[in-house]
Amino acid sequence: MKRIMPRRSGSAALIVLASVAGWILASETMAAPSEPSVASSAAPASATRKENRALRKRVYAAFAKDKSIDAGNIGVGVKDGAVTLTGTVADASQIERAVTLAKGVSGVVSVTNKLTVRRDFGQ
Amino acid sequence: MKLRLPCLAALLAFSGAASAQGLVTLYGVLDAGLLYQSTSAASFAPNARDTGKVYRYKDGGIYASFWGLKGSEDLGGGYKVNFKLQGTFDTGTGKFGLSDTPGVPAQFNQFATIGLSGPFGTFNAGRQIVPMVYAMYETDVRGAQYFGSILTAWLGMNQAAGWPGTSTNGPIGALYDSNALVYESPKFYGASLALEYAPGGVPGEFQGGTRESAVLKYSNYGLNLSAVYYNGHDANPMPGIAATGLNNNRLVYLGAMYTFRDFSVSGSYSRGKNPANTGRADYELYSAGLGYRFNPVLKATSGFYYLKDKNNSTNHSSEFAVGAEYSLSKRTLAYAQVGYVDNHGTMNQTIVYGQPVAPGESTTAAMIGVRHNF
Repeated sequence: MKRIMPRRSGSAALIVLASVAGWILASETMAAPSEPSVASSAAPASATRKENRALRKRVYAAFAKDKSIDAGNIGVGVKDGAVTLTGTVADASQIERAVTLAKGVSGVVSVTNKLTVRRDFGQ
Repeated sequence: MKLRLPCLAALLAFSGAASAQGLVTLYGVLDAGLLYQSTSAASFAPNARDTGKVYRYKDGGIYASFWGLKGSEDLGGGYKVNFKLQGTFDTGTGKFGLSDTPGVPAQFNQFATIGLSGPFGTFNAGRQIVPMVYAMYETDVRGAQYFGSILTAWLGMNQAAGWPGTSTNGPIGALYDSNALVYESPKFYGASLALEYAPGGVPGEFQGGTRESAVLKYSNYGLNLSAVYYNGHDANPMPGIAATGLNNNRLVYLGAMYTFRDFSVSGSYSRGKNPANTGRADYELYSAGLGYRFNPVLKATSGFYYLKDKNNSTNHSSEFAVGAEYSLSKRTLAYAQVGYVDNHGTMNQTIVYGQPVAPGESTTAAMIGVRHNF
């Protein structure tokens, strides 16, 4: 129990940091449209795809840091900050954990949960 | 619903001492259905004759029925002592499943382990399902099920290598190992390692009957990767032959499974042989799988398994299986599955575990069933 506590507060601090970072990023992107240009309006499709990919990577990075979650069975779909989680986790409590972790990632606007509980071998 | 009984005996015995209270969980699964199969055989002998169509009650369409008891005691500091007793039984007959000794059942043929878990990982000692099976399960869309999966294909390899199916001791790899010491590391950025050593306990032969295996896994970014090395001495012994430490069981397996949106795809390669005499057993197995989840309660999975004998090219076998699972509730599901196997030469890869097919012929099987967890 004693070992778990610092890790929890550590990850809480990370989430706080991440959300602060996300807020800063969000305010920057909100400021950006005030200077419209032809070049930037021609780019959005690929730029968005790039952003989606980057966000997907960050969600998986958050899963990798959590010892309880095997993200090898989780699909992360991203569209304009909207994350959809598919696939399976080992037990019911991890569904909530995965959703919480994904929500804590900067740039994530919403999380749609389609995760189910995986049946372990023989179970 | 898992039944939790306070560990009364422990409480009574140590009522004076300030010990942490343990919990014992009684749990299990019943899995039963009806099976139709177009050919059958009385044994796994390579020359067994076709005994015809079979229509029967079949236990274990997904996995075997089993029951068990497990518990743990918190030692503090993240450490726990864990135990598990678990055994299969046949809902058709009520009989217990097989042990390592030919023809002899065991009450706890799947798990009889005592172990320790903590920040270092987990360690379990005793008879148990070995890490290589979990590695296969994690890289097969069909989940190493009892009907048409990497498990039945790998058992097909064992049958070709002479496994008579009368014990759980096979010539290539293992599902269960007795006397096993298994360590599993914690996950490090998705990577983990499992190591197994099972002393054989043969007097005068240090290597006699030993098993050793290593499994390396990676799990993140929707991707599961597994690499297995399994090695056994004096595996699948002939009755009356003494263990001499002969290194005669080796399996190497590489598998991957990828999950994206509602799909999952898998593929694997494995090579099983008798390292002491490759001319007696040398097989390759390729697998591919594709699955789709329609909604939270319905999913479909399919798999293709190709097995070939490196020593004799006329012996090869292709199997295709497809199945659907529908969850009636959190604890009960209904399933339907169909499989087709095309066996050539002396191959007799089965479609469902526990029902031999006629060697060298093509066979179709279909099964419907229900699986209930308690």
